[in-house]
Amino acid sequence: MHTEQAAINVRVSALLEDLPKERSQLLPALWRVFEEYWLLEPEMIEAISNAMGVPYAEVYGVASFYALFDNPEGCRPIYVCTDVMCALRGSEDLLKSGQVGAKGTPVSIKGAPCLGYCDEAPALFDGKVTKTQVTQDALAQLIRGEKHA
Amino acid sequence: MPEVRRLLPESTCRSDPASPARFTERGWDRAMERALSMDPDEIIADVKASGIKGRGGAAFPTGVKWESVKKALGDMRYVVMNADESELGTFKDRALLQQDPLGALVGVLIAAHAVDAQKAYCYIRGEYRQAEGRLKDALGTLRQLGWVGPNGVDIEIRRGAGAYIAGEETALLNSIEGKRAEPRVKPPFPTNQGLWGRPTLIQNVETLANVAVLLAHDVNWFKEYGSSDTSGTKLIGLSGHVRRPGVYEVPFGYPLANLLNDSDLGGGVAGSQRLGAILIGGAAGTFLSSDEINDSVLDYASLARYGANIGSGALMVFDDTVDLRWVLRKLARFFSDESCGQCVPCRIGTRRVLELIEHGGLTTRQDDLRELSQAMRDASICGLGQTAPVALLSLLDRPDLIQG
Ligand SMILES: Cc1cc2nc3c(=O)[nH]c(=O)nc-3n(C[C@H](O)[C@H](O)[C@H](O)COP(=O)(O)O)c2cc1C
Ligand code: SF4
Ligand code: FES
Repeated sequence: MHTEQAAINVRVSALLEDLPKERSQLLPALWRVFEEYWLLEPEMIEAISNAMGVPYAEVYGVASFYALFDNPEGCRPIYVCTDVMCALRGSEDLLKSGQVGAKGTPVSIKGAPCLGYCDEAPALFDGKVTKTQVTQDALAQLIRGEKHA
Repeated sequence: MPEVRRLLPESTCRSDPASPARFTERGWDRAMERALSMDPDEIIADVKASGIKGRGGAAFPTGVKWESVKKALGDMRYVVMNADESELGTFKDRALLQQDPLGALVGVLIAAHAVDAQKAYCYIRGEYRQAEGRLKDALGTLRQLGWVGPNGVDIEIRRGAGAYIAGEETALLNSIEGKRAEPRVKPPFPTNQGLWGRPTLIQNVETLANVAVLLAHDVNWFKEYGSSDTSGTKLIGLSGHVRRPGVYEVPFGYPLANLLNDSDLGGGVAGSQRLGAILIGGAAGTFLSSDEINDSVLDYASLARYGANIGSGALMVFDDTVDLRWVLRKLARFFSDESCGQCVPCRIGTRRVLELIEHGGLTTRQDDLRELSQAMRDASICGLGQTAPVALLSLLDRPDLIQG
């Protein structure tokens, strides 16, 4: 446990090295660490708290506010929009088939509110980019980690 | 009338959207040189005279806001571009940033000069990674050209992390400061006490792009398009049952029906091809029947007759097979999920509305729904709670739109 925390501290402080150690850089700091681990567990919060000089409770309070940091499984998240315009184009089925297909893979499929691509519904956000007019096949490819999904 | 292209680049614009070539092609060099040669008060006078109103939803006169920030006392001033755009059915800022990221940034620089701000932030929603990339490249170009940097205004891009409420201006300020994105009680307004208690100008992406095209031309040119009430053009995000969903730029005063049907705009109703209703303005928007649509133009006064608002420019089209009660359930769930929970009328109210709707209350508990809505409107501290019941009320007032 102790050594694990130490290792995380080292990695996190390297990730945050060039960020000014100011409270206002907390959100950028959370992003950097989240994208490294796809996870913000107490150990990472602790490490961010140390590196940024912001109390643990404050870092936790901010991290837990934002939906995109809520990923306790630590799997790469894929957000399928299930809001009105995408739902009209079958995104609820897409979500279900994705969730079945992702079982046992390092990917987790989640529903999300409007992603701002309603003109090209259904849309998904794979944690790095948004994809539009998504088909079940395209989602399955994405889950399998195939490149040009 | 064909679509207008001012905020959006002409389709003949072939240069890379974030490149120095695009900067000149769009006339931003002219806009910057003009702005810097003008006295800040002259710029503010021009922005006022142009009649530009905020495009983020509230339609507050932009020049008036600039004047308040300029006059407010403070040792530092900030400009913030609001690109959080998380409103249902809204994607026009994303399209604008992808197609022409330099315009909005030029608007930021002009605003900073006019209100005497030294630092600016662009706050963009965390899911808009492609648009964020464009913005970053555009910022690089402005640095390279010397418009942004140590000697002038510094601009920093901030990425949100999945919170609709962060788009509310005071919540956005808290988010930039590294706090939870919870709205602040107003007053004080950000114009007086914004980021770190300093005067802060917050504008929507499209508002800032309007300022850039204004300064690249002049007030008379700007007012060539639009209605007698509202000058200029508006970006509309058209989605749902239309043949050609997308982002379109049209002058204020444009007939709503034409927006749906013109061959170079919506291209007509898709799906069953029979129009059921539209939802205009986003999740806190208003449902309009086809008669109301045929009787309305894209302008604030015209829509106000039906209790509607242009809001964020979202125009969602439903054919006559869509059960609008289903839509309403989605909206209610959205507000209940996105309420920040700070104040009771909104935290409890959004949840109660959802429960009532899920249990058939749209027909059996209308009085309770109306009473609850009133309490939320009166007692919520920010726009989310105050406007969450708007779409619901609009449907209760239009029983013909509810099937079976
Ligand atoms: C819940 C809520 C969410 C909002 N989201 C946005 C948004 O994503 N983008 C935006 O420009 N304005 C948004 N606004 C409006 C802002 O508070 C603010 O009025 C606007 O950014 C001012 O810019 P403007 O005058 O240029 O429209 C939101 C308001 C509320 C109440
Ligand atoms: S109205 Fe709702 S979203 Fe706004 S501050 Fe209150 S609880 Fe938060
Ligand atoms: S409803 Fe899915 S992107 Fe807007």
